[in-house]
Formats: sequence, structure tokens, C-alpha cells
Amino acid sequence: MSVTASPKLAVPRRRWPAPVVWVVVAVFLVVHVLAWQATEFSPAALIAGWEGMADFLAESLPPDFSVLGKSLEAAVITLYIGLLGTTFSIPFALALALLASRATTSAAWAQQAARAVLSFLRSVPDVVFALIFVTAVGLGPFAGVLALVFHNTGVMGKLWAEAMDESDRGPRDAVKVTGASGPQIALHAVLPTVMPSLAGLLLYRLDVNVRSSLVLGLAGAGGIGFLINQSIKLFRFDEMVTHILVVLLLVVVVDQASGFVRKRLGA
Amino acid sequence: MLAIRGLRKSFGGRTVLDGFDLSVEPGEFVALLGPNGSGKSTVLRCVVGLETPDGGEVEVGGNAAMVFQKIHLVGRRNALDNVCSGALGRLPLHRSFFFPQDVREEAMGCLERVGLVDRALDRCARLSGGQQQRVAIARALCQRANVILADEPVSALDPQAAVQVMELLKALAGDGMAVVAVLHQPELARTYADRVVEMKATVAA
Ligand SMILES: Nc1ncnc2c1ncn2[C@@H]1O[C@H](COP(=O)(O)OP(=O)(O)OP(=O)(O)O)[C@@H](O)[C@H]1O
Ligand SMILES: [Mg+2]
Repeated sequence: MSVTASPKLAVPRRRWPAPVVWVVVAVFLVVHVLAWQATEFSPAALIAGWEGMADFLAESLPPDFSVLGKSLEAAVITLYIGLLGTTFSIPFALALALLASRATTSAAWAQQAARAVLSFLRSVPDVVFALIFVTAVGLGPFAGVLALVFHNTGVMGKLWAEAMDESDRGPRDAVKVTGASGPQIALHAVLPTVMPSLAGLLLYRLDVNVRSSLVLGLAGAGGIGFLINQSIKLFRFDEMVTHILVVLLLVVVVDQASGFVRKRLGA
Repeated sequence: MLAIRGLRKSFGGRTVLDGFDLSVEPGEFVALLGPNGSGKSTVLRCVVGLETPDGGEVEVGGNAAMVFQKIHLVGRRNALDNVCSGALGRLPLHRSFFFPQDVREEAMGCLERVGLVDRALDRCARLSGGQQQRVAIARALCQRANVILADEPVSALDPQAAVQVMELLKALAGDGMAVVAVLHQPELARTYADRVVEMKATVAA
């Protein structure tokens, strides 16, 4: 037995994509061709230059483990930069998030102002902050910490404000009915509710910031990134491989630790 | 104790309340009945200031507290802290970071009134629905309310827990409070309330 449409039913005709779809596809292709040219994208150059990479690999193996002690010490500095960059941004991120969230602030101008500050801090990359602070405090880990504090305040403040926005309205209303003021509502309804999410986001940012502090090290903020930079400049690729293995270890340890705690928090 | 005169409220051009009147004496338990959407919750929310009425008068002789169908405790905090938060309206900000000892003592008294002293340090999320609703009533007591507005306080509870909560509200009215409870069960209204007020569905629905 087969089902056929009765002759009276007109089968809708297959529709071609609208002209706007063709235009979008064309623009998309043109932009990619332009980008291909501008970035000098060239598989041929990669194939032609494989020898350079082979030399590099040959020189880098076996790794020179005599620098392992120095490397581990520097990795700890990198970890410390990420740690201080995260913890010192907590008060600023919290204050701005409380101002930016509509769960805790009713004045529209205050929300807008806090959001503007957060998006400014977020949109300036930490490396740029680092270069700015280097002019004030010189090359070194301190400039890296300052850079992370500024950038992370922007990112974490926004994530925290969003978590507060999504918190249940019910307990907020219930506490408001008791005559509580805005800050009291934040303190006794919003914050207790969102605390696990805030802690989870904090650990996630710690994880990201430790990796960022590596890049800041390449830009002169000390730590293991700085050692990698030096090894490259001195063509000591065997030392560099040791540093990279230590970085791998550091990243995996921090990632696992923060993942473990986040799972326990249920966030 | 509570007087509502000519209360009007509309949402986006749809009239929900068009001149609603209600007055409740101290010690009186009034049940508010009516179909879904007739504006029962809106009346209560206007009284406690969660909605702003378009017109009419609300007069509260003292302090009005509200109890919700969905209870709205902070589930991660313990019962005692939730009850203490009823006192926030009379605490200055600098004393409300950690609840002062006198507030904690008063809150324990409120928990005793609802029969939950032994659960004071349990997280609210771990309590049963009926127990949570009694904690919410204790929070209203800690607010030193003399008017309690309960919006479907027992709709989410099993019959036994519902009876417990209704008995408690009745007893509070007996202590001299004015109690208004929105109910969907006419039998409960007849059993516990001194007076039943029916709200009609707004005609232009
Ligand atoms: N904040 C709001 N915005 C728009 N419309 C609203 C709002 N609050 C209530 N309403 C509308 O007002 C009407 C009355 O709502 P209300 O919640 O007071 O009714 P109710 O009698 O409590 O109903 P139920 O028995 O379902 O709880 C409904 O039609 C509802 O959609
Ligand atoms: Mg309702």
C-alpha cells in the first residue's frame, strides 16, 4: 500500500535560495580571497621551508634537561602571575558586576556606566595593558600582574553580572517585601544564590589567566614565557623544548585542578 | 488593619483590577477565591509594593508580609538565615552583613512559633515543601508583620502539609494578625477562613 496525495492537493514547489543568500555567499568568497592574499597564505612556502623546521627539530632534540630547575622556578612565577592577576581582580569585578546587573542595580545610568567600564577593560587585550604598565613599572612580573588584573576585571565582571542577571527573581522579590534596600537584597538574596556559579567562573578565569601569563612572559613579564623567548633568541632550541614540556605540565595541572573543584561545586 | 479602596491596575491596556475593595480587621482571616487570571496575585503584589497600582488606595496599619506559592526562600542558606532576612527592613546596611545576635534570637523565636526550631541549621533546599512554607511564614513573623498576605500558600503542598500551614495561618489570625490567603480549594476556605471573598474574572479578558 502506498500513500499518494490526492490530485487536488497542489504540492508546494521547491524554493530556490533567495537572491540575498547568493550575495552573502559572494561577499564571503571575496573577503576570503582578500584575506588569503593579505596574510600571504602559502602552502608552497610551508613545503619549501620544511628543511628549516627539520633542522630546528634536530637541534631541539634531545631536550636539555640541565635547565629543568630554572624552568620549574620560572613556571612557578608564571603561576603566581596568573594567581595574583585573578585574585586581585575579585573586588573590582564584584563591585562592577553588582553595579552592572539588573538583579542588583535598578538605576539605569549606573548599569550603563558599569557596563561601559567592563566592556572597555575587556576589549583591551592583556598584552596591551602589559605594554602600557611596562612603561610605568618596568619589565617584570609585576607589570604582568597589573595587566591581568585590568583585563580580567572586565571579563570576570561581565560573566559575574550575567550570572546575577539569571538568578531567580523570586527570592529577590521576597526579600524586597521585607523592606530590604538594594544592597541588602544583593547581600542576602542574589549573592547566596549565585555564589557557586561565581566561584566556578573564578576558577575558569584562573585557568585562562595562567595561560595568558605565559604569553605575557613572552612579552617581557618574566616567568617561563620569558625563558622561552630567551632560548629562541640564543638558538638554544634544546632548552626551549624543556621549557615547553614544563609549560605543558603546568597547564595540565591547573586545568585539571580547576576542573576538579568546579565539578565539586556543581557549577 | 488593611484597607484597599478602588484599586485599579492594568497591564499593557488590559484591565485586571477595576475598583477592587477589601478591608480586613485585626484577627480576621480572609480567603480570596477566583479563577485564574482574575487578579488575586496582582492585589497582593500591589499591597506589598511589588506592583504599582494605577489608582486607588492601600492602607496598611503596620507592616505587611507576603508568602508565595513558590515559597522563594534562598535554598542554599539555612532556615535561620532565611528567617533573619525578614529583619532586613529595620537593620542599617552596616549591621546586615552578618545578622546580629538579637536578630538571630528573635528569628529562633519565630522558628519555634512554626515548630521548626530543630531544623534551624538545615539548608532550606533540604526541607520538605511544607516545612519550607512554614520557614517562609517564620520570615514574615521576623518582619514583625501584622498583615500577612499569602498567595496560594498551600497549592504546591500535599493535603497534610496544607492543613498544617492553614492551621498555622489561622492561629496567627488568632494572635491578632490580619491574614489574607489566596486559595483554590473552597473546602479549605470554608474550614479556615472567617470570610470568603470571590473575585470575578475580568470581563474583557
Ligand atoms: N507583570 C505583568 N505583566 C503583564 N501582565 C500581567 C503581569 N502580572 C499579571 N498580569 C496579568 O494580569 C492578569 C491577572 O494576573 P494575576 O496573576 O493577578 O491573576 P491570579 O488571579 O493570581 O491568577 P492565578 O490564579 O493563575 O494565580 C493575568 O491576565 C496576567 O496575565
Ligand atoms: Mg496568582
